[in-house]
Amino acid sequence: MPEPRVEFDGVWKRFRRGVRHDSLRDLLPALVRSRFDRRRQSADELGPDEFWALRDVSFRVEPGRAFGIIGPNGAGKSTILKLLTGILRPNRGRALVRGRVRALIELAAGFHPDLSGRENVYLQGAIIGMKRAEIAHSFDRIVEFAELSEFIDTQVKRYSSGMKARLGFAIASHLDPEVLIIDEVLAVGDRAFQHKAFQRLEEIAKRDIPVVIASHQLDRVAALCAHAILIEHGRVARAGTAAECIAQYVSEGLEAQAPGGGALRLERLEVEPDLPVAPGGGVRVRIEAVAAGPLPEAHTLVVRVRRVASAEPLFSIRSRRAAVKLPDAGRFELRLALAAHLAGGTYLVEACVSDTERQRDVSPALHGTFRVRDEHDFRGLVDLEPRFEPPTRLGGDA
Amino acid sequence: MIAAMEASAPDAERSIAGELAELAREVWGARELLAQLTLRDVRIRYTQAVMGFAWALLTPLLVLGAGSLVRYGMAYMTGTRLESATLLGLSVKALPWSFFVGSIGFAMASLTANLELVTKVAFPRLVLPLSATLTQAFDTAIGAVALGAGIALFAWPGASILWAPLLVALSFLLTCAAAVFLACANLFFRDVKHIVQVLLTFGIFFTPVFFEPQMLGARAARLLMLNPLSPLLEGLRLCLVQGHDLARPLWIPDARGNPFEVWTPWYLVYATTLSCGAFLASCLWFRRLEHLFAEYV
Repeated sequence: MPEPRVEFDGVWKRFRRGVRHDSLRDLLPALVRSRFDRRRQSADELGPDEFWALRDVSFRVEPGRAFGIIGPNGAGKSTILKLLTGILRPNRGRALVRGRVRALIELAAGFHPDLSGRENVYLQGAIIGMKRAEIAHSFDRIVEFAELSEFIDTQVKRYSSGMKARLGFAIASHLDPEVLIIDEVLAVGDRAFQHKAFQRLEEIAKRDIPVVIASHQLDRVAALCAHAILIEHGRVARAGTAAECIAQYVSEGLEAQAPGGGALRLERLEVEPDLPVAPGGGVRVRIEAVAAGPLPEAHTLVVRVRRVASAEPLFSIRSRRAAVKLPDAGRFELRLALAAHLAGGTYLVEACVSDTERQRDVSPALHGTFRVRDEHDFRGLVDLEPRFEPPTRLGGDA
Repeated sequence: MIAAMEASAPDAERSIAGELAELAREVWGARELLAQLTLRDVRIRYTQAVMGFAWALLTPLLVLGAGSLVRYGMAYMTGTRLESATLLGLSVKALPWSFFVGSIGFAMASLTANLELVTKVAFPRLVLPLSATLTQAFDTAIGAVALGAGIALFAWPGASILWAPLLVALSFLLTCAAAVFLACANLFFRDVKHIVQVLLTFGIFFTPVFFEPQMLGARAARLLMLNPLSPLLEGLRLCLVQGHDLARPLWIPDARGNPFEVWTPWYLVYATTLSCGAFLASCLWFRRLEHLFAEYV
């Protein structure tokens, strides 16, 4: 078996809070000592004002499909990427990348406002490690991809932020990487460019190149990544398929401190199929639950569907309203078939017990996800199955 | 570019030679980046500058002007005339001094001025202070062309001119050493910049730019030659203006008529060892701390 190209194994990273106000006189010797005194065993200790930005984070990246890192702001996503690119070093563990790493972390970091777009392409290319000949070779394609042919000799300070982002993405994505690391760059430019950028990344990921993506655009992560981790407070809160991680992440944002127990305990929720369905295609939801007595009159089992990107609820169905009689005792299984008349994207399925009188959930929610293929002949949230008939000519004067 | 990055343990076992080889490989691998960054800074310096290439000559000319004033004063007091060799000697020393001062000022800010790059992009950071020094070297080269033309036309020193390339190379290494060290130090402690500015302002009095060490007498001259810049500047003056072969010692009488040694080849050995040593040491130091940059800014 070949060695994995990305290894991230039991990584701990310590950061310091706030600004250092130490004097030169005290700190220079201390700094030198800490670097050169190898007997010092302080890899596990936290000094005052220090905290663990990452605690024992491990993951493996299989080539062929991208690997996603999701989680709230400040959870440690960017720190992981910086450790992978070598900008930071772990205090414990191994962060190792074999091969030419190309990182798309800050797309326009190397741009200089006083230079022209053309000069900046060469400069930025050199910064991310391309040879001059390589840049010259891809130059026309970069400019064309960025849609900046007219403005390539204009100073970059006259570019709009969208133009800069487009140029940055075009340069970075026309490298020839062996490992690609991407931080929240799926949000560049307008809708059309985002779509193009996304396709470009998909293309790269398909070439058996390990791709690591940190992003808040859960829709994109769901579509690009097979596996993912959810990072919270520097720890791995969930590792598994991208869908599982996304479901947990989105559901945590929704959790309304519902009490456990009650007459009905939901144990398991499965959504099929794993692969994206066509708009209007069938989605099967399977719920496993244990009943410990008759459900109170006001309580009902609810299944909701939300958009992953915004967690906005789109649809919900109550077992009582649908006149489903749930068993009063014992373990049972409930199946629900849905037709996904929805726009392309990733959706969250949520099941819980809800109190219809007090308008609140009374059990923890279970979650699953499904995806709908992006078939671009309509826009909006739902698929109303548009079908035009051929126009018929009407009589009378024009 | 980055082959493998390991946590902490391996560099304990690696030898210094191995580390240096790796460092050299990294910098060699980033040579195009070094060229691009230098080109960027040269372009920026000259595109929107009213004075254009006259900029390059401004500092050396100011140093030369100040030096001429000092030497004119000395000549007036002793009742002698200001000789053209003195002025030529001043210009030969003013140029590397301005290069040294300019490079340090520019390189010291190179990491902090490129924070976006330092915190977000992986590349050998050593190219930042090095390209700052190279940019300054470009300016100095313009002055050097003018000075070289002057020497070739009016005061050809003979074969001793062959020593000049070595001294120029050593001055470059020494300047790089200071630039790399200070860029790194300034990232960790922002007050370094202010301390260094003060040191550089008064440093010209402890470096033989306006005067020659022998003016101070035997003991003080030897002390002054401990300043690593002194043998380089004096060496340049001796080989370019005096036509002195640096492989041989130079004896001249002091004020009381006793001869003393103003130049010995050992000065050259001293300067070479120090420049190369300082260059390697500061690059190594820089590289070992490099991974902390993104955390400390």
